[in-house]
Amino acid sequence: MLRSLARRKLRTTLTVLGITVGIWALMVMSAMANKLTALVDGGSTYFDNKIVVSDATNPAFGFGLVPMPVEVVDVVAGIPGVAVAAPRVQFLLDPNDTGSGFGAPDFVVGFKAGFDQGYETFGSEIAQGREMTLADEGKLVVMLGADLARKFDVAPGDAFEIRGEQFEVIGVREPTLMFFDTTAVIPWAIGQELLVRDEALEIESGAEAPVLTSMVITYPEPGADYRAIMRAIGEALPQTRTVTGEDFDDQFGSTIAIFNAIILSVALISIVVGGLSVINTMTMSVTERTREIGIKRAIGASRGRIMSELVWEAGLMGLVGGLVGLGLAGVVIYFANDAGQTSGTILFLMTPWIGALGVSFSTVLGAVAGALPAWNAARLDPVEALRYG
Amino acid sequence: MAFLEARNLHKTYRLSRSNHVRALRGVDVTVESGEMVGIMGPSGCGKSTLMHILGLLHSPDFDTDAPPSLVIDGTDVTEIEDRERTRMRAERMGFVFQFFNLVPTLTALENVALPAEYAGRRKSNARAAGMEALRQVGLEDRAGHRPNELSGGQQQRAAIARALVTRPALLLADEPTGNLDSENTEEVMALLHWFNRERGQTIVLVTHDTRVSEACSRVLTMRDGVITNGHDALAS
Repeated sequence: MLRSLARRKLRTTLTVLGITVGIWALMVMSAMANKLTALVDGGSTYFDNKIVVSDATNPAFGFGLVPMPVEVVDVVAGIPGVAVAAPRVQFLLDPNDTGSGFGAPDFVVGFKAGFDQGYETFGSEIAQGREMTLADEGKLVVMLGADLARKFDVAPGDAFEIRGEQFEVIGVREPTLMFFDTTAVIPWAIGQELLVRDEALEIESGAEAPVLTSMVITYPEPGADYRAIMRAIGEALPQTRTVTGEDFDDQFGSTIAIFNAIILSVALISIVVGGLSVINTMTMSVTERTREIGIKRAIGASRGRIMSELVWEAGLMGLVGGLVGLGLAGVVIYFANDAGQTSGTILFLMTPWIGALGVSFSTVLGAVAGALPAWNAARLDPVEALRYG
Repeated sequence: MAFLEARNLHKTYRLSRSNHVRALRGVDVTVESGEMVGIMGPSGCGKSTLMHILGLLHSPDFDTDAPPSLVIDGTDVTEIEDRERTRMRAERMGFVFQFFNLVPTLTALENVALPAEYAGRRKSNARAAGMEALRQVGLEDRAGHRPNELSGGQQQRAAIARALVTRPALLLADEPTGNLDSENTEEVMALLHWFNRERGQTIVLVTHDTRVSEACSRVLTMRDGVITNGHDALAS
């Protein structure tokens, strides 16, 4: 089989190259789609058991960039069905960040440790250092997401600058594949102070700075009607907007699904082209080997044997094309993600599953594409085939 | 009972709606076990067509007044399916062609071992049998050579080894010396003779060459799709 392929080196190489390009595109696109899906799935999971209340004038989906007076927290907490309502400040790490990156922008989030009173179900592991505690309130300490720590090359004990202040890194989270990875968590009081500073509020002499919150993270009681609570919040605080897991899915889920469908379609077109090149190669190969097939049939090779020989050959081309495509995709993704780290633009999420699926797919594609020429070869009249050429 | 018994073989090739070629027009052949039968005749008389039918590569016509019949080694093979025909070719027949027909990408040994593999033997077993067959035709030192590295005579000897590697009961040879010089013709005929005499293998060969036909135990002559020198000498 290998010798048959090696005998036509140029054609075999070009065919394998055709599959390689297709599989390369499929894997790179799949890794991109995977990254997006992971991002959205993570967000969906995070929003699933809570209602996030933010100012209605926020330009984007509940990111709370426009702050509200902290009094809204008590109003939300008083609504029937609400178990816990906790303030949270949130602002961009870099105020000039235009948010043009592929993933979530870098955020600074401030809240009191244990604010959720055990209602938060979304968990993330600590990779290095320790978790933040109530004892950290008022201290310049920060807990970093995995991407941020990598981007700024910091570890627990290192200094990390936020808005001109030097924070001590106390811990780094394991990757969550969502916005937590690009988030710096600081104590509530410090976050509050930076938020006020960030708002550049004109504070009259002697007056205290207003206490602001970016969001109210609201945990309904078990079995509570989320929509009823959201309606009640809307009535009590008409200047706010509320979002929950369903809204997140509506907003991002379908968009990402369409986007993923488009990029995977592009990749599949490449694959179809690769498959056609296998059909072409195998058809030419069968034509060239008509006499050889006739000989084999005459001396006792069954139709199934002829067919399986050719299908294996085509499958082998698919396998090699898939492996080379996987290698190239791995190299491209590695360098693209490495280059994107400095800007926080991690575009691709490659998993063993994508690799295995891509290589299996290309092998099956090769075999399937080779099946028709193989079937034609197996049905050749041995006597006619022996006269060929 | 004869080793090979063919009755009422007709074969018409329909080249187009109006152009039919009647290659066989009612051939009866009987070959006894251990015979070496030559079939002679001018080009286009139907010799090769008869070989293809005897070798189960083609079927005779069935739309004839009297039904055809073909029995080989006690098995009625007249109407067997392709799968069964293939199995018969692999296990009980060997073929030698005028143009050697070795697979160009395979070595002599791999070529010779092919029928044994097709007959269901393990690869190692098939190769061992292939090596033994190559030794019998004096080509053991050429086992690793590809066909284009062998002379015409060597290629035909390798083809004979391939035809006999499974020790088939019947060897069919279509112009086995048609592409060889005198020296190689003698070598090939000596080999065929040896296998016929020493192994008792039944051989049916088509030839134009009277020197080859003289080596046969019996010669059938064909013209215009029929056997003309009596049905066959032995039967009559």
